[in-house]
Amino acid sequence: MTHASRRFLHPEAIARIARLELRARAVVEGVLAGLHKSPYKGQSVEFLQHREYVRGDDLRRVDWKVWGRQDRLYVKEFEEETNLRLALLVDGSASMDYRSGALSKYDYAATLAASLAWLALSHGDAAGCAVFDDKVRASVPARTKRSQLASVVEVLEAPRGGRTTAFLPVLRGLAETLPRRGLVVVISDLLGDREGVFQGLQLLRKRGHDIVLLHVMDDDELDFPFDGPTKFEGLEIPDHLACNPRALREGYLAAVGEFLAEARRRAASAACDYSLIRTGEPVDAALVKFLSRRASMAV
Amino acid sequence: MPTFDFLPLLWWGLPLVAAPIVIHLINLLRHRRVPWAAMEFLLASQKKYRTRVLLKQLLLLALRVAAILGIVLAMAQPRWTAAIGQLLGGGRSAHVVLLDDSYSMGERSAAGGGEAATAFDRGLAVVGRICGELATTRGRQEVAVGRFSRLIPPKDSMPPADGGVVPPAGSEGAAGRLDVSRQTVTPEGVQRIRDSLAAMKPSASDAGPLGALAAAAELFGDGGGSKATQVLWVVSDFRAAQWDSADDTVAILRQLATEGTEVRFVDCAADGAAGEGSTGNLTIERLAMVGGVPAAGVVVPLEVSVRNDGARPVRDVTVDLREDGVGRPAARIPEIPAGESALQRFDVRFQKSGSHVIEARLPADILPADDARSLVVDVVDRVDVLLIDGALADATPGAASRAGDAFYLAAALAPGAGAPTGLQPRTEPPRALATLDLKAFDAVWVLDVERLDAPEVTALETYAREGGGVVFFVGPRTKPDVVNRTLHREGAGLFPIPIAGMVDLLPDVAEQRPDVVVEEHPVVAVLAGQRNPLLDAVRVDRYAAVERGWEPAPEAGLRRLLSLRNGAALMVERSYGAGIVAAVLTTASPTWNNWSRGNPSWVVVMLELESHLARGRRQAESLDVGDPVAVMLDPSVDGIEVDFLVPPDGTVIHQAARPAAAGKMEARLDATNPGAYAVRWRRTDGIERERLFAVNVDPDEGHLARSGREGLEKVLAGVPFTYENAASIDPGARAQNGVSLVTPLLAMLLGILLLEQLVAWSSSYHPATRRGAAA
Repeated sequence: MTHASRRFLHPEAIARIARLELRARAVVEGVLAGLHKSPYKGQSVEFLQHREYVRGDDLRRVDWKVWGRQDRLYVKEFEEETNLRLALLVDGSASMDYRSGALSKYDYAATLAASLAWLALSHGDAAGCAVFDDKVRASVPARTKRSQLASVVEVLEAPRGGRTTAFLPVLRGLAETLPRRGLVVVISDLLGDREGVFQGLQLLRKRGHDIVLLHVMDDDELDFPFDGPTKFEGLEIPDHLACNPRALREGYLAAVGEFLAEARRRAASAACDYSLIRTGEPVDAALVKFLSRRASMAV
Repeated sequence: MPTFDFLPLLWWGLPLVAAPIVIHLINLLRHRRVPWAAMEFLLASQKKYRTRVLLKQLLLLALRVAAILGIVLAMAQPRWTAAIGQLLGGGRSAHVVLLDDSYSMGERSAAGGGEAATAFDRGLAVVGRICGELATTRGRQEVAVGRFSRLIPPKDSMPPADGGVVPPAGSEGAAGRLDVSRQTVTPEGVQRIRDSLAAMKPSASDAGPLGALAAAAELFGDGGGSKATQVLWVVSDFRAAQWDSADDTVAILRQLATEGTEVRFVDCAADGAAGEGSTGNLTIERLAMVGGVPAAGVVVPLEVSVRNDGARPVRDVTVDLREDGVGRPAARIPEIPAGESALQRFDVRFQKSGSHVIEARLPADILPADDARSLVVDVVDRVDVLLIDGALADATPGAASRAGDAFYLAAALAPGAGAPTGLQPRTEPPRALATLDLKAFDAVWVLDVERLDAPEVTALETYAREGGGVVFFVGPRTKPDVVNRTLHREGAGLFPIPIAGMVDLLPDVAEQRPDVVVEEHPVVAVLAGQRNPLLDAVRVDRYAAVERGWEPAPEAGLRRLLSLRNGAALMVERSYGAGIVAAVLTTASPTWNNWSRGNPSWVVVMLELESHLARGRRQAESLDVGDPVAVMLDPSVDGIEVDFLVPPDGTVIHQAARPAAAGKMEARLDATNPGAYAVRWRRTDGIERERLFAVNVDPDEGHLARSGREGLEKVLAGVPFTYENAASIDPGARAQNGVSLVTPLLAMLLGILLLEQLVAWSSSYHPATRRGAAA
């Protein structure tokens, strides 16, 4: 693990790359160098199998050579025929601004999103992006054009309001506006309207979208390593708490554990592909892990 | 009730106990601000664990306060005293500090340069520290301080040294002889005690611990009935001479220990192996006349003896001498072996009669007190010697007869103007013994007396018993049965031996041996050794033989000076009371021998015998420090106002004589300083009288060999005591206030600290190690 992690770009290194596009490029190049193969194929011409012709099949896909030899109509099926439509939904609420290391949760989420967009676009797939909190603050529809990555990055780097999260209205609106079925990747810390998250995800799922939920949490939020008298001030909740963190750690970790378990359980019930990602983890490593998992699911 | 050996540390440390609370309060004001996203989980935890967190924090705070309190308590050295003792004694501790001020405490530290140069200085510092410590000790601490020399019980009820108002007899107990009377020690009082101690110097006495311990026992016995913790401090140099054979001292200490008194010894002597005495101290242990007649114009032989207590021999020791304050040629001792003494004789010729002071002084060493010694010699114009000649029994008193034995004896004692001896013989018949005041004579020579009547025998016995010297010569008139019946009386009388009869000494034709054989005795020491031609020339024809088979009783102390060649005694002596009685068993005249007929040895032996007999009377009165300087006055001729001139600076102490026995008046002063004391008074006829007394230190106190811990443990077997060195004494490390609580407190403190660590660890975050996380 230690040896492998050296291949990945640590968040500190990524943070030093100022431009998000360059960050995404760095991440994806590392991923490609490591994987050699991407599970996302564009317009594919690779033959998969023959099947008997049925009414309604496109006559252009009838294999006439087989008809000539066997006097029976077969159509050729290929591995992929249509372009992937990738929709990246990135939580831009105030809670995503917490950082314990070089990257805030939002920075980490944006890097992930840009990297996925880069991958999709590099394979000819369409990629779109939206940043939201209580509503969609910036978005770009899915396109395959060459300048699309720049548009995605522009959306991700757009100024954010630092507001609370309202998942349900945002996801409902996106479900109505997304034109075709596609892959929807939601990147969020899921803090805020927790019930709304899963209701919105279910809406998207009902629309036939393949849902991926990337749950980004800071290391501090998972480990709670604080010591000494500390005054915690809520980023989204207008509340504060002065306490000895050591004394509350046990209860806090228990609550976080319940939260993560519930998220995993609700995501599974909504047929979402759930992944917990720590901001202390190298971005490319997280990306590789995610892609590997997706590839194994596709087989 | 717990008490504390270092109470000030407790007072200073107690505020530190509040430190954890203060730090906690400060931390409450110094919160680190953290913007936090996951507030809902934090608030949920806080809601759930509020009570537990509060209790845990309070427990942690209490443990930390307890830990600091434990540390402070441990530093203050608590000890537990019995509750019953506290109830009865009110927590009172009675300390009696006995400070050895004998002159050996004046030993200077060989290291030098220290803040305490002498053992006594170190002792004073120890006493000051003890008092200072007691002032800060919890409970009522009483202390009394006394010096050895002052705590010795008075010899009788004579006036005090300062000549002031005489207290009623017996009114001054041990409490009245204390330097610091029994008092409750307070911080304010400590300085007063220290001030009073600062003026103290070691005395010149040889006061041992016995008197002081007896006084301490008396003080503890006067404790007022309340049961208090009793602590006896003995601050001394613990010289072997005073401690190694002290049965009475051991008995008192054992009694005190039995009564529950804690005994603590503090050794103030300079560092060194106990018992070695290798400090190189020289002591003048004797300065005295050795024969001769203290008369004006006569050479008087004196002798000075110097002892070397060091581990190495000392060479070329110079003894400075002064006669009446004027320097005279010093005496030089070539070598004094280690641990031994060396004698050096010197002659002094006093030109005038009266009291003369001879002083001897050594170069100063580590113990200056024993480096000087003085001697008072009362010189007279002449010394009267009484010759009782039996030949004058029927003659008129005062009419000397040339034909009697007295003639030859007088010729020996007073040869003439060319050889002054200072002696003036006076020849009298036997009956003069009853009429003359024999005290006026240095010695009485009884020469061939036929018989003495009872009054004469009584007067002679009284004279001898009071220190006079008596010599008997026998002769043709001497009746053995009369001598045996009236003078010997089976050993109870003056005559040393029973006489069987007068016998002739048969000539020694064969071997030609000398008739007289010299025995080992100081009087004839000058004739001892090689054959002496002068004594060889002495022929004895007849002598008084001792009864056959008679053997002197061992306790009679009979010594033989001269013997005859046949083994019979010729000259013997024995002590009688304070005096000496000698018997020469032949004639003084050349009737039975030829000794007095022109033989120089006759003169020498008779003069030596005279000096020997008169030794007790001529011995200059030498007093030790602590002895009383006393004069007896006759109220019919002497006034009663007396001045004592105290050395070294002649301080005058005035005193009125008090009635004494036999109608006399007595003035006395306890000698506290070495040197020559002068006592002056005026007679009723206006003539001023003066008498000198030489007061010297006891040379035995100059033995610096120490008893040490091992020696004391051996001597004081069975007596519980603690032994500490003055340099390392820790007055607080005492057990007299109960059982030390330090050890259980430290164990408790360890437990508290472990529990605190446990609680703190359970309340804090411990990130997993990288290796552990990887696993």
